[in-house]
Amino acid sequence: MTTGTSPMTANRITQAFRCAVTLLAAALIVTACSHRPHEHHEQLVVFGTLVDITIFDADDKSIARASAGITADLNRLHRTWHAWETSTLTAINDRFAHGEGAIVDAEGMRILRRAQELSIASGGLFNPAVGKLIGLWGFHQDDAPKGPPPPAEVVAELVAKNPQMSDLTFSDTAVTSGNPDVQLDLGAFAKGYAVDRAIGIVRAAGIENAIVNAGGDLRAIGRHGGRPWRIGIRNPGGPGILASVEVTGDESVFTSGNYERYFDYEGTRYHHIIDPRSGYPADGATSVTVIHTNGATADAAATALLVAGPEHWANVARQMGIENVMLVDKGNNIHMTLKMAQRVQFEGEAPSVVIVADPP
Amino acid sequence: MQLTLQTTREDHRIAWLAALAITIHIAESALPSPIPGIKPGLANIVTIIVLMQFGWTTAVWVALLRVVVGSLLVGTFLTPTFMLSLGGAVASLAVLGIASRLPGRGVGPVGYCVLAAMTHIAAQFWIAYWLFIPHDALFHLLPVLMTAAVIAGLVTGVIARAVLDRLSDTDYGRHPAAAAAD
Amino acid sequence: MTRADWVIVISAVALLPFLYALYWGNAAPGDRVLVLVNGKQVLAASLATDTEFTVDGPLGTSHIKVHGGQVRFTDSPCANKLCVHTGWLQHGGEFAACLPNRVSLVVSGLNNRYDTINF
Repeated sequence: MTTGTSPMTANRITQAFRCAVTLLAAALIVTACSHRPHEHHEQLVVFGTLVDITIFDADDKSIARASAGITADLNRLHRTWHAWETSTLTAINDRFAHGEGAIVDAEGMRILRRAQELSIASGGLFNPAVGKLIGLWGFHQDDAPKGPPPPAEVVAELVAKNPQMSDLTFSDTAVTSGNPDVQLDLGAFAKGYAVDRAIGIVRAAGIENAIVNAGGDLRAIGRHGGRPWRIGIRNPGGPGILASVEVTGDESVFTSGNYERYFDYEGTRYHHIIDPRSGYPADGATSVTVIHTNGATADAAATALLVAGPEHWANVARQMGIENVMLVDKGNNIHMTLKMAQRVQFEGEAPSVVIVADPP
Repeated sequence: MQLTLQTTREDHRIAWLAALAITIHIAESALPSPIPGIKPGLANIVTIIVLMQFGWTTAVWVALLRVVVGSLLVGTFLTPTFMLSLGGAVASLAVLGIASRLPGRGVGPVGYCVLAAMTHIAAQFWIAYWLFIPHDALFHLLPVLMTAAVIAGLVTGVIARAVLDRLSDTDYGRHPAAAAAD
Repeated sequence: MTRADWVIVISAVALLPFLYALYWGNAAPGDRVLVLVNGKQVLAASLATDTEFTVDGPLGTSHIKVHGGQVRFTDSPCANKLCVHTGWLQHGGEFAACLPNRVSLVVSGLNNRYDTINF
């Protein structure tokens, strides 16, 4: 017993202490039972799409911070890079059309340089310089175009102008185009960039396990507790899920498909991914799924490989440094890299033909 | 060279009681179970009786010996079953240790058994979730498991109380130091 | 039975309904659909019961149908009807949205087979 305290008091203190410890232990057990590692789901309507955020095991404050940050940043990107509503991008396009250079901030420079690199690596199949062509087909509006498709000679005329990302030259603060027919449309890149930004914001909020899914294209970091994240890939040809992949660490899963935006005219379907070489919707593949760390790269690659089609995708993937590719052709045959084949799990019946290309 | 171990009366008692618990443990693991992981936990009866007769330290020895030796005999040593078993035992011993230090008249066999059974299941559930089946659907099972634990705790508690009544009738094995032990 | 025994037994039994409410409550067997307007949840329905309902957004009324454990948009006041074309949703994590009308559907469940869906 402590000196200076009567045994009686000391006994009471010990009793009170034991009582407190017991209650604490009981409370711990009960809370341990009721605290389930928290899976948080949130949908934001930003960036012209539905952004679905899944967060595993983070505190409410961090989640609120991430969600507010993503909303603000994606709204900002949407206003900056919108291809047809008045934006920084349409202002740049106006300057190009008048043969003038445009002043662009540091982030804009990074984006345009990266888009140029990716376009060159893809051999021009990912070509964000063909904004005029996309507009000509009627895809520069929120609603699906009604048709008819544009006259062949107008399409041919635009293709002959050969707008390329390599026409752009960069100084410290300005971009100029050597070709007045270059009109930028970052449709196949901006979503990837936005998802990359969103993941950066999630990380900055101290969250380690999350998926940001912007209208079907996503980047996932960390894992779901004791297991990897499970990503279902929707069947491009019909309803349901075609396959699933497990993702841990940090990877983006992007799919480009001919079913996303399209119109039917006189029995023919015209979709929004235009082959810059022909000026017509890319023919040959139904969808391409790409897994790559960087979202912007995955986004551009999925588009380029859809344009490349079942014959040439493997070469383009190699040039772009993409190792995980799954392409569904018009006959519903699956073409994959070896790496992709090792991680894809088909749901239900495996598709009739699986062609595994040589590893890049 | 011959090694002689000095054993005490206390050691012998632990060995005998552990042997009893192990026997029950093995008998129970041979019983078919309707749901994997749900067992009545009859071996817990021994732990609770030891706790009340000989104190917490002896109960810890008996319970841990039961888990380790029992798993060696059944052949589950260091397997997931063993980790679940050990985790459950350690957690329930911790809670029993705290409960046995409660002031007043203290907890009786039924209270101890209910506490032990619930802690056992709760700990095993968490080990199962974190190490083996990290699937949210597992939480669907938790209410059922806890209900089973409460029922098992009550049943084993009643049995333990009956055994303790018999023991006090015959005044068998009552250790003079048990009253002094915490 | 001592007083401590009674306290333990009663609180143990009292804990059980709480656990059932926590882990079984509003999670009917299988999955649910959450309906959001402007990203805010306005209602949740079990996919176990066939039903049809309507949700009002800024443009008008969207029609939603639950049938055989699946859910879909059947009509929406938008021009391109992308939401209707999305078709049936079934798996946890699948979603469809009528962006013009700001109405979206998300399938969620305790037993999500997928954490999210790529398309």
